[in-house]
Amino acid sequence: MNGPIRRIAIGIFTAMGALLLAVTWFQVVRADDLKTDPLNPRPALTERGKERGLIVTTDGTVVARSVEDAGSRDYIREYPEGEAFAHAVGYSSFLVGSSALEATYSSQLRSRRDLTISDIVAVILGRDLRPENLEITIDTGLQLAALEALGDNKGAVIALDPRTGAVLAAVSTPSFDPNLLLGDDAAQQWETLLIDQSRPLIDRGTLEIYAPGSSFKTVVAAAAIDTGTAGPGTTFDDPNEFDLPGSTATISNFGGQACNDGVSVSLLEAFVRSCNTVFADLSIQLGAIDIAITAEALGFNTEIAYEWGIPLAVWPTDDLVGDDAALAQSGIGERNVRATPLHMAMVAAAVANNGVVTNPYMVQRIFDADGQTVETTEVAELGRAMAPETASVLAQMMERVVTEGTGRQAAVPGVRVAGKTGTATGRGDFSNPWFIGFAPVESPTIALAVFIEGSPSSGESATGGSLAAPIASELIEIWIASQS
Amino acid sequence: MTRNTEAALIIAASFLAAFGVTLVNFARGGSVDVQTSLTFLVFLITFGGLQVAVRTWAPRATPLLLAPIVALTAIGFLEVYRLDVVRAGLQRWWLLIGAGLAALVLALLSKPGTSVLRRYRNLILVISIALLLIPNLSSDWAFPLKGLEVNGSRLWVVLELGFTQMQFQPAELAKLGLVTFVAAYLADHQRALREAQRQVGPLRFPEPRQLIPLLAAWGVSVVILVWQRDLGASLLLFAGFVLLLYAATGATGYLAAGGLLALLGGVASFVMFDHVQRRVVAWIAPFENYQDEGFQIAQGLFALGSGSLAGAGPGLGRPDLIPNASTDFIFAAVGEELGFAGSVAVIALFALVVSVGLGIAFRSRDTFRKLLAAGLTFIFGIQVFLIIGGILRILPLTGITLPFMSYGGSALVGNLVLIALLLRISHEEAS
Repeated sequence: MNGPIRRIAIGIFTAMGALLLAVTWFQVVRADDLKTDPLNPRPALTERGKERGLIVTTDGTVVARSVEDAGSRDYIREYPEGEAFAHAVGYSSFLVGSSALEATYSSQLRSRRDLTISDIVAVILGRDLRPENLEITIDTGLQLAALEALGDNKGAVIALDPRTGAVLAAVSTPSFDPNLLLGDDAAQQWETLLIDQSRPLIDRGTLEIYAPGSSFKTVVAAAAIDTGTAGPGTTFDDPNEFDLPGSTATISNFGGQACNDGVSVSLLEAFVRSCNTVFADLSIQLGAIDIAITAEALGFNTEIAYEWGIPLAVWPTDDLVGDDAALAQSGIGERNVRATPLHMAMVAAAVANNGVVTNPYMVQRIFDADGQTVETTEVAELGRAMAPETASVLAQMMERVVTEGTGRQAAVPGVRVAGKTGTATGRGDFSNPWFIGFAPVESPTIALAVFIEGSPSSGESATGGSLAAPIASELIEIWIASQS
Repeated sequence: MTRNTEAALIIAASFLAAFGVTLVNFARGGSVDVQTSLTFLVFLITFGGLQVAVRTWAPRATPLLLAPIVALTAIGFLEVYRLDVVRAGLQRWWLLIGAGLAALVLALLSKPGTSVLRRYRNLILVISIALLLIPNLSSDWAFPLKGLEVNGSRLWVVLELGFTQMQFQPAELAKLGLVTFVAAYLADHQRALREAQRQVGPLRFPEPRQLIPLLAAWGVSVVILVWQRDLGASLLLFAGFVLLLYAATGATGYLAAGGLLALLGGVASFVMFDHVQRRVVAWIAPFENYQDEGFQIAQGLFALGSGSLAGAGPGLGRPDLIPNASTDFIFAAVGEELGFAGSVAVIALFALVVSVGLGIAFRSRDTFRKLLAAGLTFIFGIQVFLIIGGILRILPLTGITLPFMSYGGSALVGNLVLIALLLRISHEEAS
């Protein structure tokens, strides 16, 4: 009888051996495939349930936090300020992924508990498994005011501290409530936002490039003054139309008239009145390369290390050498010249900062769960874009734009505001109003770019002076009031 | 190994259970609480008490059996606790009841010995069949003992006691009774069965008349399958019977005929029952049928893969995503939270229990005791293979519990009695 039992025993132990082989197959050989199988809900769910760090503004407003659900004991992400910080802070959703700071600082914001035995080892070694937190440079009051001021317009506001590059406000409209992307219906909400014609998910402030229009005259003027090609008092011919060399096409001014008296006009007057004829002429005098030197010092054609990858601002030098017609059009910020609103804010900030360009940033400090600083962002200078004297002269010219020129609506009582308007060619019949500027001129604490994407709601006759400048005025007034 | 070493291992495994519960608490942000001490206490009383019973009524029994059982129960309990705290609380009560019943079996057998079971084999058969049939009692008559249909299977009995009601699966005890009957029957007819054999090719077949018990066993299995729709129990009992017949006679023809009948029954049930078809589909293509039949198997495999080598840690994985994790899929839950290391430990512990059981059968001189020990170990081993093999896609899932680990009172009680019987046989053979 022991014979058959022995044979059955061999059979049973063979079966047990088969179990060991199978479990090795699934838990060792195929473990990673199973773990990352798109059907496996675990990776997303564990990330979803885990605590993420706080994101707080420099004034102490919590803009992202994780709240523990009393029932499931899972952590749920919350964005208390809703749509105001949607593009700056972003979202972290288990269904639709993450964006902006939530994506960039994902590894710092996530709990270091990876839910394995290694957690215990880490605790024994005295490591902190709790997530780290971000302190950002955004001023909540200014941010909310910017969202409010943009109103129904599609557009963006980027405000910087010109001395450091710290982002004081970063708003893109229309915005969306990131809290909508956290629930079980996140995929549907995402779909709705994705097909929305007004493209609320797009960050117009840092991720889209637009023709900067006349606001780019700031760059050309800086190049002219810096190279000694022209000063504020240098006079130019004042035709009704500027004939593009080698072409029958012309460049005219806004309104179709001469800039001054039809005979001659100074650079200052042309800048204050934003005369295209003069800047077309000046661009050809300067040449594509001299403009490129200043533009590139201001960060055009250069990778800027922002909090996330941003598109290049473009001054297409190679296409413009030997093509004066294209150069003339490019000198007034049209044709293929492109920049993000963030970039144009950097241009204004460089003028405000005596010609020195600072690297823009939003996260100023990373701190651990006990409040101890883990990392502080060092202010980084990208270099000098123009001589201090050039910056000083240009600042005075920009102040005149606000006191007596196209940017009068950016004026703030009792504050010396400098700026430059722009009304660039947009899509369809609509033009894109711009305003870039800074204040107070004697000691600037804010530089900003206001961009409006032309649309039926902004109106056909909208200009930088009529639409963007008032927003700048409002924000500068709020900022200066908050600083005193 | 001595009884004192065994006692030390029982205490260590009780600590393991309490430590596991505490780790789960930590994972939930809690700490050491009443669950920790309660678990430790219940394990100590259950298995310490069982050892006292063994020391009293079966002192010469092998000291190798109880320790791996406590370890398996501890690992299973920690996952049940992690998945469902309420069920864990009930499981603790069932542990105490099971240990009490196992001790009672040891006490009752201490005077007459296991041979009394052989003498009353026909009574045991009648009781076992009655136990198998009571779930078919009406669900809505006034009598306090009612049948109950759960998930399309009639396996449950409800006993209404006025103040509370108890649910149990009588098949868990009937299994032991049927194995006992078959072992006794074969021991009584062993000579006749052995001698009346003829050679057909490479196989030795018994006389056609001697095939009657095999066909009877097959009949019982079919009845269970048709009436109660319990594929697992049906397969388990049939395989157990065939292996016992082979063990008793050495006639390979039983294995061949048994395999053929099992295949026939399998094909027939696949054609007849759509719940069998669903299980086959889930086995062959779980990921392709993820939204439907395949969901449970796919989740089980995701759990195992996510557990990887070291596991997520108690309370830190997501075995709650697997349907029926605390019963059918407890092995996948262990694999996710304790990793490959935990899975291998569980399989090794089961292999140890099986080898100790077979060792008892091997060394038994008395035919009945040998066959009883072998039969009990067979159904234990087959059960382990059927359910873990089902989770690991070696064969279709049969919806059977993993001994000592799955949540379920009747199975726990039944398996503790099974261990008590093995211990008693071991004691008698050592005397």
